Amino acid sequence: MFKILIVEDDPKIACLLEEHLHKYGLEAQSVKSFDTILNEFQEINPHLVLLDVNLPKFDGFYWCRQIRALSTCPILFISARDGKMDQVMALENGADDYITKPFDYDIAIAKINSHLRRAYGSYAANKQERIIRIEELTLFPERLTLEFNCKTVELSHTESKIIEALIEKAERVVSRDKLLEKIWDDQPFVDENTLNVYMTRVRKKLKDIGIEKAVETIRGTGYIFHAARGLKR
Amino acid sequence: MKLFLKEHVPFTIFYFLQLFLICLICWLDGFTHLFTLLYACLLSTALYISYLVYRYVSHRDFYMRLSPPALQPEELMSSSQRSPLTKALREFLSSQFEQFHNKLYASEHQLNKQITFINQWVHHMKTPLSVIHLTIQDQDDPVFTSIQDEVDRIQKGLETILYTSRLSVFSHDFQAESISLSQFVKDVCSSHKRLFIRNRVYPSIEVDAQAVIASDEKWLAFVLTQLLTNAVRYSANISQTVAISSYKRGKQLVLEIKDFGIGISPQDQKRVFNAYFTGENGRKYQESTGMGLYLVKEICKQLNHRVELDSKQGVGTSVRLVFQQNLADSSLRKRPL
Repeated sequence: MFKILIVEDDPKIACLLEEHLHKYGLEAQSVKSFDTILNEFQEINPHLVLLDVNLPKFDGFYWCRQIRALSTCPILFISARDGKMDQVMALENGADDYITKPFDYDIAIAKINSHLRRAYGSYAANKQERIIRIEELTLFPERLTLEFNCKTVELSHTESKIIEALIEKAERVVSRDKLLEKIWDDQPFVDENTLNVYMTRVRKKLKDIGIEKAVETIRGTGYIFHAARGLKR
Repeated sequence: MKLFLKEHVPFTIFYFLQLFLICLICWLDGFTHLFTLLYACLLSTALYISYLVYRYVSHRDFYMRLSPPALQPEELMSSSQRSPLTKALREFLSSQFEQFHNKLYASEHQLNKQITFINQWVHHMKTPLSVIHLTIQDQDDPVFTSIQDEVDRIQKGLETILYTSRLSVFSHDFQAESISLSQFVKDVCSSHKRLFIRNRVYPSIEVDAQAVIASDEKWLAFVLTQLLTNAVRYSANISQTVAISSYKRGKQLVLEIKDFGIGISPQDQKRVFNAYFTGENGRKYQESTGMGLYLVKEICKQLNHRVELDSKQGVGTSVRLVFQQNLADSSLRKRPL
């Protein structure tokens, strides 16, 4: 499991980030005292560091240089400062990337994963493959396959994202807005119809592995994935 | 010289009047030696002229400086002449100059302090905003969606403040680079996907994939964001599309953002780029500050792009950004990623 050190002086952001990283199978830990960042770094020996710029006493640039003297692990800056100079400073001081606040979890996770991949080899080396499971239905978002009762179906990237969102919120409404947001990055021309088309494809894929009537449309609002009703054998 | 002569015209008139008066009195008194009288006049006039010459020579600097008005303030100060008037003027000017200088520096300093403070404050505000954003990101309740909308609005407001205050120090914060237009448009659109989705207005992008422009990405992104926000806001509930397209116009490359919304009334059209002008539409929609298009115009001026706007009420508005292209086409290639 990858260990990630969070150096962020706002306790709420640190806490939220920690929780979210846990969800994605990463071990996250926040710095306890800003006097002894270096000691904590050596103790934890993380695979990756998330570093804020504005910190008590010394700024992030300083700590970045200090960490660089000890380690070559990826260092990602997270800061509200979005000036070009700040980004240049960060990279000059040894950082690998720069994320500006406020940021989306998706972006943070994507960047963290890409740096981990680059620094420590591909996902294959990472034994912790993400698996999303509800009863007998298993989604492998990184392999883009969906499994149910020993039947497997291949998914497109977008379909996988939709199914993931539906399963995670099983029995609750997932709004159309949320789904549109999820599929936006893969699709240059998103509109209401795009989502309808994808929902039809998702339903068909589910049907292929023997799941029918699992996805219910709530008119004008969104969709519900009924695990109990849909996953009966 | 002209000034000197002009100034001494009354004096000269006075002098000759006086000369004439003396001659008249002498003549009436019965003084008949005309030549003596004329000689006296001649002598006096010679004296008068030599006084004028002396006066001119000693004050030449003074007059010279006064005649062509627009000199550098520093030049006004330097003078080697020592006549009392020149000296007094020099001292007066330099004290005035110093005073204004001090005032100018003080207010400049004050302004910089203010800008720094505002920038700092905006960045501080971004932290609580991030916390709210992260907290509600995975929540699906409609309440959180509407909170997210407000968060987006606050964030947009903060960005506007930042960009407005940065505009005054534009040259420190500018970096020209070659940008792939289609990638740029896609990136900006997807970073504002929530804006589109929430308003049920979707972009249809038809931008030439080969098009490359020379500009500053950050500033241009702000411009495009502003135009898209306007387009979306004024076409919500009326139309579902904002068309973003690019085409060539001679040597220029045009990026057009076209909506099919409420449009702008003809009397407002000329003034939409003015600061604080909100117009009819601004009164109908709450969020207008009148700063958006003003900033667009100012930024484009700095980036050397042209902005064109035309609109028909009830039909829609199209805004065009015109880029000079001759550079980008030949010599600059797309930046390797």
